[in-house]
Amino acid sequence: MSCHEDIVDYMHDYLDESITEENKERLREHLHSCAECRSYFHDMKKAIALVQSTARIKAPDDFTARVMASIPKEKKNIGMKR
Amino acid sequence: MEVIIKQRINQVLKGDQNAFGEIVELYKDKVFQLCFRMLGNRHEAEDMAQEAFVRAYVNIHRFNIQMKFSTWLYRIATNLCIDRIRKKKPDYFLDAEVAGTEGLNMYSLIADDSALPEDEVESLELQETIQDEILKLPEKYRSVIVLKYIEELSLKEISDILDLPIGTVKTRIHRGREALRKQLSNF
Repeated sequence: MSCHEDIVDYMHDYLDESITEENKERLREHLHSCAECRSYFHDMKKAIALVQSTARIKAPDDFTARVMASIPKEKKNIGMKR
Repeated sequence: MEVIIKQRINQVLKGDQNAFGEIVELYKDKVFQLCFRMLGNRHEAEDMAQEAFVRAYVNIHRFNIQMKFSTWLYRIATNLCIDRIRKKKPDYFLDAEVAGTEGLNMYSLIADDSALPEDEVESLELQETIQDEILKLPEKYRSVIVLKYIEELSLKEISDILDLPIGTVKTRIHRGREALRKQLSNF
């Protein structure tokens, strides 16, 4: 892959949505002709999709109650009021 | 969302603790998810997420109302998780094992409480594997990948949360993506 370093940079720019139209065209043309880069790009997009597919996790039901029980009580602050 | 949050913050500043409870309700899942993906352990994630909210409450008078509240809250949570990861580094292998067995409790972590059909078990296993691969990333790549692909934040927000230049955030995301490509290419 070392000969395609600039192409890998274009892949990242593409994934960051910061690629120029010109480089996007270069990337497209190159991917069309190079199976190695095509597979590389595919694997990178697949890895992202897998990470994004991880289930949405919810906080435990008693989470808020536990936070509220841990925060300093208002009466502690009374002495600080003027 | 931001308008409601700012109203609640003003109420908290006036001494209304219940208004803070509403803020916790709005952000608890995102903060818990962030901590869980960073730490890979439910109990630690719970502790860190709770600590993040407690710190936000104690320091609420320092919050710059011009700023996006979620950015500030995520910064507190991310820093807590990074500190935690750095502290436990010597026990990495032990913790990795704990993180693995933690997967046994994945059922209780799924957003949908309803019983799971058989065919979803496989995807649960896959998700545990993906989580393990995320945990293998060095902390500086893990944080940007979690913020970008799990919390779905922009590069600008990530740069504000981590207090790093956008260029650095980009480089870390690129390296994180390269690492994940190698780790997950066999799936």
